[in-house]
Amino acid sequence: MKVMVCLKQVPHQDARLDVAADGSWIQEDNIKFEINSYDTYALEEALRAKDAGEAEVVVVSIGPDRVTQALRTALGMGADRAVHVKDPEADASDSLGKAKILAAIAKQEEPDVIYCGLMADDGNFSAIPPMLAELAGMPSATGVISSEASDTSITVRRELEGGCREVVELPRPCLLAIQTGANQVRYASLKGIMQAKKKPVDVKTAADLGVGEQVGAGAAKVKINKIYIPPKSDQAELLEGSTDEIVTQLVGKIRELGVL
Amino acid sequence: MRESSEAAAVQPLDEWCRFDLFAPTPEHELLAASLRQFVEREVEGQASEHDRSETFNLSLFRKAGELGLLGVTIPECYGGAGLDAVAAVQLLEALSTSDPGFGLALLAHSFLFAHNLAVNGSEEQCRRILPRVVSGEWVAGMCMTEPEAGTDVLGMRTRAERDGKDWRLSGVKTFITNGGIAPDTLGDVFIVYAATGERSLSAFLVEKGMSGFRLGQKWCDKLGMRASFTAELIFEDVRVPADNLMGEEGQGTAHMMRNLEIERLTLAAQGLGIAQRALRVMLEYADQRKSFGRPIREFGQIQRHIAETYAEYRAARAFVYDTARRLSFRSAGQRVDADAGKLLASQVAKRAADAAIQVLGGNGYMGEYVVERLWRDAKLLEIGGGTLEAHQKNITKDLARDPSIVG
Repeated sequence: MKVMVCLKQVPHQDARLDVAADGSWIQEDNIKFEINSYDTYALEEALRAKDAGEAEVVVVSIGPDRVTQALRTALGMGADRAVHVKDPEADASDSLGKAKILAAIAKQEEPDVIYCGLMADDGNFSAIPPMLAELAGMPSATGVISSEASDTSITVRRELEGGCREVVELPRPCLLAIQTGANQVRYASLKGIMQAKKKPVDVKTAADLGVGEQVGAGAAKVKINKIYIPPKSDQAELLEGSTDEIVTQLVGKIRELGVL
Repeated sequence: MRESSEAAAVQPLDEWCRFDLFAPTPEHELLAASLRQFVEREVEGQASEHDRSETFNLSLFRKAGELGLLGVTIPECYGGAGLDAVAAVQLLEALSTSDPGFGLALLAHSFLFAHNLAVNGSEEQCRRILPRVVSGEWVAGMCMTEPEAGTDVLGMRTRAERDGKDWRLSGVKTFITNGGIAPDTLGDVFIVYAATGERSLSAFLVEKGMSGFRLGQKWCDKLGMRASFTAELIFEDVRVPADNLMGEEGQGTAHMMRNLEIERLTLAAQGLGIAQRALRVMLEYADQRKSFGRPIREFGQIQRHIAETYAEYRAARAFVYDTARRLSFRSAGQRVDADAGKLLASQVAKRAADAAIQVLGGNGYMGEYVVERLWRDAKLLEIGGGTLEAHQKNITKDLARDPSIVG
């Protein structure tokens, strides 16, 4: 079995974020990055598939040089090899462009399963997994909290609203978008860290993958015009007193507003 | 969307400026991330309990072994990772942010014993012993201090005499970290320094099960580092096979000296971990705790504790990592800075823990807030692995011998 894991590197959860001067994205200089938390669960799910039987785990990421660190981490945790799409045009793509790049890799790799995180901690689009599944012609399941592979299919449990669970069986090949908390993510052992040095990282551009014309800022259908920190308001009023007093005040305020 | 013109306009720094003293290679970066997770997930939750019960956590120790943390500097051919002193410092700093006592047990095992053997032992000895030590199957330690000989190592009374090809070793060693694993359970293997002639020391590998080798008293009621097991070890006419002499007869002092640098740097790293944690605790508390209607971090007296601790921690950290970066395992040469690093970091640790208690007031005095434990643990670093006075003596001697070191 071969599995492909899509990893995105995002600003570290403890990083102090500032909006870049042109307002198009955050200031990325001098902040730490890490693997998107959802993707770490996807990677762990893939590594468990490897532990359970014969599987080759290929990790894939799109981004500048710094992405090497995310791929090395994944290799240190147990992935077998990595594909790094290092191409400014690929970076400048919208979700669909990136899904096209990943689909081109999937076409070359022919994985039995693609594992993705459900969404990314930074962009929060949740767009790439279903787009990639569609482009790769695979069935997919999102919100996956566990998976179990048989020879021809994969049975997954999905998390639904209100604490419900759903069990779905998908034929292979398929794509699974993994929810956080699905498993306990392992950390790289020292042995893994030392072996990671020797594992191959294949560096490619969108053109190498045959999709150079279809991706990049020019081909993007979605463009971020501006990101900003919501202005602070002094409209908030802190109610003080016992719980009963606060409730009485709150109801009064709601009545004043004419909501009730 | 990421390739903003603004980002492109920023002049890239020269390559050397990007050098990260605290994680100079991708391997160090990965190690830092794994250590952070290991400490958060496995170490933090058990630390207070083992401090209170004065017990060594063997199962956590074996987990560290599974991750490869017991053999950071041991060559790969013996099951280690073959990394450098910077990795060793990272390891001890990270562990000591949470459980310095456990860190000390690991330090004694991995650096006082395993690293020493890897550098000074024969290939046969390394092949026979190191894989079991690196995995955590065996718990190891080093025996130098005696009831009547500490810093004055040449005054030791433990003696070894030739008996045919083998040796007979007799004496008492005390304050031995990992001397026991649990009450009545001896540690597995030790480097034991013993006199083999007038002003001549040799190092022997003494294993559990050798006739005449037994566990003496366990030291209870230690001030700190209570998650490590400290014991007295008794050697009554122990027959040590010739194969267990480490290196050549009379080379004990050389072995000891060759290992001192990594020992001192890892102990200094423990001080860094303690200072780092103390700083984090006081910073968080000063933000949350209000006095006279304001967070206490707005008061100058509190700011002094936080700022002074930060400056001292940063200075000590840079010094210790820089010395580790320059350290070679095969040749001495960083003795003065290894001494100075530990001299500084151990005192910074104690001052940091003390400042944290002061910032936390009554809460700082209570076990729940961790800093009182750090304060107790920090004191050991001013005594163990070289007293402050020994470092002061060594540094002065080295500087007098070569004043150009000063710059």
